[in-house]
Amino acid sequence: MTKTSGAFKVSAMVLAVIALAGIGTWIYQLMGGLGVTGMNNGTSWGLYIACFMLFVGLSAGGLIVASAASVFNIADYKKVSMPAIILSTICITLAGLFVLVDMGGVHRVFNLLLHPNITSPLFWDVCIILIYLVINIIYIVFMTSKNGDEQARAKRLAILSRIALPAAILVHSVTAWIFGLEIAREGWYSAIMAPLFVVSAMDSGLALLLLALAGLNKTGVFKTEEKLISKLAVLMMACIAIDFFLVCCELLTMAYPGAGGAEILTIMFSGATAPFFWFEIIAGLVLPFLLLSFAALRNKVGVVVFASALVIVGVMCKRLWLLLSSFVEFNVQGASGVIAGSSTSAHASGVDAFALVSSYMPTWVEIVIVVGFVALGILAFMLMTSKLLTKKTDAKLEDIDAKERASA
Amino acid sequence: MTKLGIAINLDRCTGCHACAMACKMQNNVPSGMQWNRVLTEGSDIVDGAVGEFPNLSRTYRPVACQHCENSACLKVCPVGATYKDEEGRVLIDYNKCIGCRICMAACPYNARVFNWNEPVRNPDFNYGDSRVPVRPKGVAEKCTLCKERTTDGELPMCVLCCPSKARTYGDLDDGNSDVSKKIRENGATQLLAELGTKPQLYYFG
Repeated sequence: MTKTSGAFKVSAMVLAVIALAGIGTWIYQLMGGLGVTGMNNGTSWGLYIACFMLFVGLSAGGLIVASAASVFNIADYKKVSMPAIILSTICITLAGLFVLVDMGGVHRVFNLLLHPNITSPLFWDVCIILIYLVINIIYIVFMTSKNGDEQARAKRLAILSRIALPAAILVHSVTAWIFGLEIAREGWYSAIMAPLFVVSAMDSGLALLLLALAGLNKTGVFKTEEKLISKLAVLMMACIAIDFFLVCCELLTMAYPGAGGAEILTIMFSGATAPFFWFEIIAGLVLPFLLLSFAALRNKVGVVVFASALVIVGVMCKRLWLLLSSFVEFNVQGASGVIAGSSTSAHASGVDAFALVSSYMPTWVEIVIVVGFVALGILAFMLMTSKLLTKKTDAKLEDIDAKERASA
Repeated sequence: MTKLGIAINLDRCTGCHACAMACKMQNNVPSGMQWNRVLTEGSDIVDGAVGEFPNLSRTYRPVACQHCENSACLKVCPVGATYKDEEGRVLIDYNKCIGCRICMAACPYNARVFNWNEPVRNPDFNYGDSRVPVRPKGVAEKCTLCKERTTDGELPMCVLCCPSKARTYGDLDDGNSDVSKKIRENGATQLLAELGTKPQLYYFG
């Protein structure tokens, strides 16, 4: 499919309309305040922060594959470096947008530069996300640049990828520390958060890359061999296994003392976040692992696409149970609990304005904004791939591969 | 150094919520928000009793910002809007706050409330002390230990208005202050002391 084809235009138009609806809804939220969301004083973070966590992960996964290809000289992966880096750039931009949309005082956001507090994990995250975005953009520039000879270009990429790989791991670790360093939240305060986030980033990021490659294959913008797709699927399978292992380590540590952690486990196993927890374990980890563990199934693109979709939805579910389970119960309990402060409770009177346990349900505003941003991301992906993934780039990359192999 | 704090005698607390109302009036706290709330401990309903007849008990615990010495909210604020002043109070610079709410996630006591909407007040005017700044939508707020009053040497409103004199306010760094004596003599404890946040609010009785 070429850039000018009808289907491309129609889908781009539809995505643009959805994205505009999302942006319009954001303006509506800015006018009314965050009260138009389902968040409240008990559950003070919701869908936006869950999406932020998801998209940082989706981004890190892409760049890890792209830069690992160069750092460890994995020739096969280099072929998909460009789509991986495009995905990574788009996802980190979306992640940043989700933080901005979650802020109550976005017009004062420049205070992050004027009055930074270096002990804040959120400030670390702002720094690393900006650095990471810049690295992504330089990566794209380097990969498409025509300056210098092939050798010099390959060398520049090799140097950049040695910075990009640790940055990709760090960007997700720092995101994990926003949660993992909060002693107030039993379900977050754990050293496993950073490794767990990194491995979730790897499996969901690879899953997104596989979906994108399958999509590009179908539209003919960019061709990837089926062999490489099943090879990447094996890597994803390994990440799923590590993800599962880390989740189990955390669950056992929470359950064993039978104290505060066990209360949160009850919420995850049979309480408000149980649907997300069980979906992630069964459909997001076990099922895709089983599907991909059979070579016969793994070699079918359809199966890989299905497993990848499950992994992404599973990781989204993980973000939700991880984030929300720790908000449900208050450390200091007693009637009448915490004054909710939500839009619904503002019109309530007496004890109805309070909550003994916190609850949260996203409103249409949050859903429209999230869907709009995702549409914006897909649109950006379509435009960037049609512009940057020309046959010429493809050939040039293979050329660089050949040159590097020759020099090695 | 001054380290302001409050010690609360739970035996004297009758659960009348006067401190919560006094705080709301003084600090112009909008509808749907409270800086100071009185919890009925171990119960699902306000003024509920705990246990089986005839072994019943009923205790109240007023909870507000604990003005922690090692405050979790202060560390995580990305713009330094939350700060500890020279008197040992944990305060918020409303002009700096970007409304990211990481402080609310970090506070173990759920002491903070957020201006989710444009603040609504009943009656429809600013009823608080004129020295207290009016907060816009999109910022977090909480107990300031009545900064505007205590800076001028007055008592915090919750301390002044408590009809059973359950609250003692003063300088924790001064061993001879009333609050230090109360804490020492009654073996007062801190809320969730095991977390190491070192609250400057103490409870006894």
